[in-house]
Amino acid sequence: MRALNQCIAAILLIFGVIASANAILPIEKLVVHKGAKAYLVQTKALPMVDIEVSIDAGDRYDPAGKSGLADMTAGLMNYGVRGDKGLLSEAQIADEIADLGANIGLSVGGERAILRIRTLSRKDLRDRAVQLAAAMLSAPTYDAKIVAREKQRTITNLLEAETKPEYVLERRFKKMVYGSYPLADTPSVQSVSAITASDLQRFHKQFYRSDRMIVSIVGDVDSTQANDIVQMLLKEIPQSGPAITPLPDLQRSPIEPLAQREVQIPFDSQQAHIAMGMTAVARNNPDFFPLLVGNYVLGGGGFVSRLMGEVREKRGLAYSVFSYFAPGKDNGIFQAGLQTKGDQGSIALEVMSDTIAKFIANGPTPNELVAAKANLINGYPLRIDNNRKLLDNVSSIAWNDLPLDTMEIWTKQVEAVTLEQVTAAFQKYLAMDRMKIVVLGAQNK
Amino acid sequence: MGSTLLRITFLFLLCAQLSWAADKDRSDTYEFVLSNGLKLIVREDHRAPTVAHMVWYRAGSIDEVNGKTGVAHVLEHMMFKGTDKVKAGEFSRLVAAVGGRENAFTSRDYTAYFQQVEKSKLNEVIKLEADRMSNLNFDDAEFLKEIQVVMEERRLRTEDNPNSLLNESLMATAYMSSPYRHPVVGWMNDLQNMTAADARDWYRSWYKPNNATVVITGDVDPKQVLATVEKYYGAVAAQDLPVRKPQVEPPQKGIKQVQVKAPADNAQLSMAWKAPRLEPGKLDDPEPYALELLTAVLDGYDNARLNRVLVKQEKVANDVGVGYDMISRGPELFEISVTMAKGKTVAQAQSSIRKAIENIQQKGILESELKRIKVRILSDQIYKRDSIFGQAMEIGSTEMAGFSWKNIDYMLEKMQTITPEQVQIVAKKYLVDEGLTIAVLDPQARKSTSKEGK
Repeated sequence: MRALNQCIAAILLIFGVIASANAILPIEKLVVHKGAKAYLVQTKALPMVDIEVSIDAGDRYDPAGKSGLADMTAGLMNYGVRGDKGLLSEAQIADEIADLGANIGLSVGGERAILRIRTLSRKDLRDRAVQLAAAMLSAPTYDAKIVAREKQRTITNLLEAETKPEYVLERRFKKMVYGSYPLADTPSVQSVSAITASDLQRFHKQFYRSDRMIVSIVGDVDSTQANDIVQMLLKEIPQSGPAITPLPDLQRSPIEPLAQREVQIPFDSQQAHIAMGMTAVARNNPDFFPLLVGNYVLGGGGFVSRLMGEVREKRGLAYSVFSYFAPGKDNGIFQAGLQTKGDQGSIALEVMSDTIAKFIANGPTPNELVAAKANLINGYPLRIDNNRKLLDNVSSIAWNDLPLDTMEIWTKQVEAVTLEQVTAAFQKYLAMDRMKIVVLGAQNK
Repeated sequence: MGSTLLRITFLFLLCAQLSWAADKDRSDTYEFVLSNGLKLIVREDHRAPTVAHMVWYRAGSIDEVNGKTGVAHVLEHMMFKGTDKVKAGEFSRLVAAVGGRENAFTSRDYTAYFQQVEKSKLNEVIKLEADRMSNLNFDDAEFLKEIQVVMEERRLRTEDNPNSLLNESLMATAYMSSPYRHPVVGWMNDLQNMTAADARDWYRSWYKPNNATVVITGDVDPKQVLATVEKYYGAVAAQDLPVRKPQVEPPQKGIKQVQVKAPADNAQLSMAWKAPRLEPGKLDDPEPYALELLTAVLDGYDNARLNRVLVKQEKVANDVGVGYDMISRGPELFEISVTMAKGKTVAQAQSSIRKAIENIQQKGILESELKRIKVRILSDQIYKRDSIFGQAMEIGSTEMAGFSWKNIDYMLEKMQTITPEQVQIVAKKYLVDEGLTIAVLDPQARKSTSKEGK
């Protein structure tokens, strides 16, 4: 048995001697296959490969009254498929993935569903993992019994979530900030109850087409092998289908009197939870970098941000306080938040609001700008220093349609940001009289 | 599924083929001990120009005494509050300036601090970290603010989190004398009564080079790293550490039960059995390895036994988790936790768990199940190399539990030798009522929650 471990050591020795790659690795554009774009970053140091398929089938496509459908469509893909050798049960799929030493994960966000494979790069193991993923993407069975079971599990989880302060806060905040955009609706007991097995079939057929997919690959394969992987993944997937109704635009959070923007939710938790935010920008917005640099100063920069300084370091009001921009392909939001002892809810909200208002009005100081740029630029290598992180980057570049040299020019774009640009961008996109505010569990005296 | 076995055989063959090239010792990892007792472990990994730097102190909540629970973690917070030369908050600003990511964490067994930086910035963070090993100097006002932050952390992670409350009660019930009965964050009343002096005493007792291990992984030259570490950490003098009393937990003599009422919708059940851990110097003891493998047989993949039977077939549980860690300074529990499926009772879930365990105790496990787990352990050996941070974590936590990083590979080899019979034996021997603690979350409606319709 000793040989087994020596085997791993040997693999590492063989692959480990390849020289250090300090230059930023290039993204190769692979052949577009059946309408799906595909990208590759070759890293040869470890005998493994990470593969991601992004599908334009996120939560925002949930039909009215059936919130949760997109989630379940992706989440149940591995619970039974029709493969090239007949039906594979959920148990068989799980056992096979385990036997390969591979991992296949499914997740769904607002914009896209994501399937990720991590496998050893040896061809026979890799091919089988890819075949299993391909079967999930093209031919999930959505067996009625399993759908019923998973619906019940989802409902049970939802009922539990509804007792948690962070969930109730987030659900209300989303409802307010997304307004009439589909992401305002989150799954409920009612909406999940309304979902049927044929809804899943229909949603899958409608959205899981190769012209709505992007493949990103990072690891120990060359471009020929990568092209083979893409073909294998998409082999049985139809290239197109009936037209899909376009989504509405996300309307900018309007100017409103405070009473219409702020909600207090009674909740008998020990802490008050606060969320504040509004609509903001998409990732490909030219102001993305000024906002990124500015937000580092405001609430993104770990222990050194203004919000951290005012709320936690100076006043001891919270353990965690933050702000961020969440830019997607088509739109995005800005959000800030904290949690504090119930009777400190009002004071914490005041400190947070003042800090954000001041920042929008005056922007960062010259020193803060220098510090933010130094952190982001000096720290850039940490964003791309392993396969997993590289995959995150390639995937974001591919999904958001960013230039292929995004990683190479990233630090230059940060460097180019000026004080005026930060202030102008914050004033352009954020405004205190547009901010939605949710305060949950505050004991106001 | 005939092809499955074939593929496993492929993997085994591949290994046999490649084994001729394997070196017995890892040539990428180096260990040094400075004259003041500080241990340095360096692992070279040149895939990217980054480094992880960690210092691990062998001082966790296991070393705390009554009335001062949580002090290890409070000190972790205070370590960012200034030294003779670096004023409060400046540490984080300096790390941020070089683009670093930093944080710290406290467990039952240790307290650790880390920075991840681009390789040319390594010296800078070593200098800062070495400075706060011996020159910490915070004032009382900083302490008074920070203890509030720690209490907020406890409110966030424990008081408002029924799952944590359940776990806290489980530990306090399972252990009578071991300090593992106390939560790492500390009891709220102890936090309310903690003083700056308590934190300073803790620092003076445990933050010594002879109680510390520095782990550095990434794109470095071990010789250069050694020189830098000697320059900065080497200046600190060794000092005798407080005597650690063994506080061995007396044997349990029968089932213990505890109930926790907290706001939740759904009941939860945890069953935790006293189980042995791997002892330093006894690396050939098969039992801890067998217990690790039993964990994975029950819960290691989507179709593992408990998920398959409880969640998918009997639909008695909504979610299942199994926990056991063979490496730790204190006593170990083998724990199974479930949340109930809608309409199912705790008694039904407990009966299903017991049935699944009895099945293993009487009939054993399949060779194919064990092979599947072993293949996963092997492939994880490759995947874990993708993260230099993860490698530093593995080295540091192993060292803190009293083992050497050099034992890690041996332990993994040992794991591959365990047989289905050995797994059955530990299931029979340890998953018995004498050492069992049962904790149940009894869900309560919130008092003042408005019905938030969609």
